[in-house]
Amino acid sequence: MIHLHYFAGLKDAAGKAEESLPWEDGTAADVLQWAKTSYPAFDFSAVQIAVNEEYVPRTEPVKPGDHVAFIPPVSGG
Amino acid sequence: MTDRYSRQVLFPGIGRSGQVALQKKNVLIIGAGALGAANAEMIVRAGIGRVTIVDRDYVDFSNLQRQNLYTEQDAIDRMPKAEAARKRLTAINSNVIISAFTQDVDTAFLEHIIIEEKIDLIIDGTDNFDIRFVINDVAQKYHVPWVYGACVASGGLSMFVLPGKTPCLHCLMDTMPGAGATCDTAGIISPAVQMTASIQTAEALKWLTGSTDALRGTIFSFDLWKNQFSSVDVQRMKKPDCPSCGVHPIYPFLSYEHTTKFAVLCGRDTVQIRPAGVTKRNLDELADHIKHTASITHQNGFLLSFQQEPYTVTAFGDGRVFIQGVSSIEESKKVYYHFFQ
Repeated sequence: MIHLHYFAGLKDAAGKAEESLPWEDGTAADVLQWAKTSYPAFDFSAVQIAVNEEYVPRTEPVKPGDHVAFIPPVSGG
Repeated sequence: MTDRYSRQVLFPGIGRSGQVALQKKNVLIIGAGALGAANAEMIVRAGIGRVTIVDRDYVDFSNLQRQNLYTEQDAIDRMPKAEAARKRLTAINSNVIISAFTQDVDTAFLEHIIIEEKIDLIIDGTDNFDIRFVINDVAQKYHVPWVYGACVASGGLSMFVLPGKTPCLHCLMDTMPGAGATCDTAGIISPAVQMTASIQTAEALKWLTGSTDALRGTIFSFDLWKNQFSSVDVQRMKKPDCPSCGVHPIYPFLSYEHTTKFAVLCGRDTVQIRPAGVTKRNLDELADHIKHTASITHQNGFLLSFQQEPYTVTAFGDGRVFIQGVSSIEESKKVYYHFFQ
């Protein structure tokens, strides 16, 4: 099991701030792919991934118990 | 006058030496919209030595809900934001030297200002990634730190970029985001602006007063309506082969193609056009030229506005044009080329 956290517009698209996902093995890219498939209406193209409160590259291994957060870009000002 | 900064000097993080240091520093604030205005007010009240503020826009009534330096009169007069900001900031703290530029920011302008004004820090008050990637490259090239800040709806985020030490914006984003959420589509509330600006100014004060150990070193993001706060470590994202800050930098965003650029402005149905190779426009000649086909609504030495229903066109002295009342860049091109070609 891993714990997913959604921020900003992604929270609206998912309709929830967090959820848990059965998980054995994979990378940040695999988690991202799962999210893209689950929430096809959201544009994930520039979303950043944080694992356990640390930004990581897409190749980062994700293990059971990890917290994975998706942080969409913000441009306004 | 001696008591002016007493409460700030009393704060141990700054103290007398921090205050003295602050008064010798030069800050460049790019953009005088919501974030730029909020940052500018705090940094000027704090007693910075010199502020250079640059913005391409003029004050509109839709700005007044959150852009804390401007008044109804500024909106009525369509004052350029940089000028309105300079006037208000000078009234707040006349000890600070404030320079205002009403123009689009590009590579040449940034390089010139950073060298001429000996800029110690850049504060991001912009509203798009196009210019942030240019700022990021210039900051790396001249080893000037910058504070990224962005906000939309009820949230925002910020990161302090220190060349040679932290990852840069390009490390975090391999490619420039296309359309992120903007205040055009999602709106914005003032607390999101003030909170984002406060995080930016806090990091700015740490750097400028020499409290480098206190720098946060994370991306801080929040949502005041959804009650979410996160602080994410970014250090591992620094890429040795980053084209902007890596071992062999090429600063890719400084080689900006020379074409006329159309950009949707955040917060209203307006498109900005920056013509290639045009840096000056004679507004009197233009007024003479269009007075038979459109009605002139404003002319104040900086800009000329005229209407032809359903559009309002504003031409600036530096060559730029705003077209208001359009729903797409395509539509704006038609209107632009109708009047200017």
